[in-house]
Amino acid sequence: MTTIEELRATAAERQRTCEAIKKMIVSRLDLPIEPAWITDDQPLFGRGLELDSLDVLELYVAIEAEFGVALYDSDMAVFGSVSRLANSVRPELAGADPTSNA
Amino acid sequence: MESALTTAHPEGTVHGVVGEATVPLRFSTPETEYEALRERAALLDLGGSRLIEVTGAAATDFLQRVLARDVEYLTAERCMTSLVLDEAGHVVDQVVVWGRENGVLLESSTGGGATLLAHLTEQNTEGVVLTDRSAELTLLGLEGPYSWGVVGRLIDGELAALPLESVVDTQWDGVDVIFGRTGVTGEYGYKVIVPREAAERLWKQAAEQAVPAGQEVLEQAMLEVRQPVFRLEAAEDATVVELGANWLVDITKDAFVGRDAVLAAFARDNPVRTVGFRGGDAVPEPGTRVLAAGEDIGVVVHAVRSVGLGATLGLARVEGEFAAAGLRLTVGDEEVTTLTSPYVTPKSWSIPIV
Repeated sequence: MTTIEELRATAAERQRTCEAIKKMIVSRLDLPIEPAWITDDQPLFGRGLELDSLDVLELYVAIEAEFGVALYDSDMAVFGSVSRLANSVRPELAGADPTSNA
Repeated sequence: MESALTTAHPEGTVHGVVGEATVPLRFSTPETEYEALRERAALLDLGGSRLIEVTGAAATDFLQRVLARDVEYLTAERCMTSLVLDEAGHVVDQVVVWGRENGVLLESSTGGGATLLAHLTEQNTEGVVLTDRSAELTLLGLEGPYSWGVVGRLIDGELAALPLESVVDTQWDGVDVIFGRTGVTGEYGYKVIVPREAAERLWKQAAEQAVPAGQEVLEQAMLEVRQPVFRLEAAEDATVVELGANWLVDITKDAFVGRDAVLAAFARDNPVRTVGFRGGDAVPEPGTRVLAAGEDIGVVVHAVRSVGLGATLGLARVEGEFAAAGLRLTVGDEEVTTLTSPYVTPKSWSIPIV
């Protein structure tokens, strides 16, 4: 059985990754908000953070530079939220998330 | 408040009360309506929303103060979604702000119009003109990965490909309508504001090409993409930050009602956050405790049986350190797993408008 400490550690690992992604988004796109204002679950494109296709291109470059992961896939679901993006830059986080391939 | 389209609803439609409004909860079966919304095109009677016109010389100043997002440069060709907050930072309503040449039209949430109008009236120190247009106008929606095709056949193909949150004054069958590309399910979404006397005719034409879907399936689809339904999610003391609705607040705006409270909640050290979960056979009631390895960490906010997932889908408000996807928790007696949003990926994200 998973202990409370293990759950805390798993959550903290994902939260650290999400935090790093938010900092990258704010920095690369020069957004006038604190990274923590972006929630893990909010949509990034269209409604939500209202990023556009040019922002996607910038994020592709940034993600490869900062996380060493090349996202050449045009699958927009990767950008469904910060937390969803975390599954792509850290695939080991996606293991227990049943929506990672929904 | 009753929809202008009630008499046009097919026999067997189940109606129910949502806030101040009586709305169609379902027209057929959840499976049929859900399949239309996620695979083809669903037709929505949005007549449970009020349309409140805000005009007058001070309209922009008033709106900048009462809306949590920045509408200073909203033109008559655009719309946007915003929260309306009280001084304590609690949600009064979520509105779609339709830009107009003279002022705006505020579209309330379903059944939330009376509360919204009362709040706006109380806040109206600028002397703007608040006019409830709901007796003259009503609202229809189309959502689904192929709803753009219905728009093309019904009104004008060029409208279907408008950028998100565009608004066009146009005509349908000789009737002046306001058309907007906006939705809430992650699928291609459109709304038409139409005079009530023409609404039944438009509904019947649209129903030849799209499947009517009721409030139950609509709200389920909204939950699947983490589009808030505050009537279900917002406990009286929940702040915007706890609800995870930051994206409906423009915190860079200098001043608006509720801003100080939102900032205070954002700065709090030991936050509570909302997270999605899936699992279990039963649908837990709001208030059911959420446990992590036997420790009480929070409470269920709202849950449904998701047609799309074939499983229970819900939201829980938990201690911030556990607000993360991929955790196995316990809700009541059932094991659940926390999720990343969107919980169901909209088909429209992989289908171009042609």
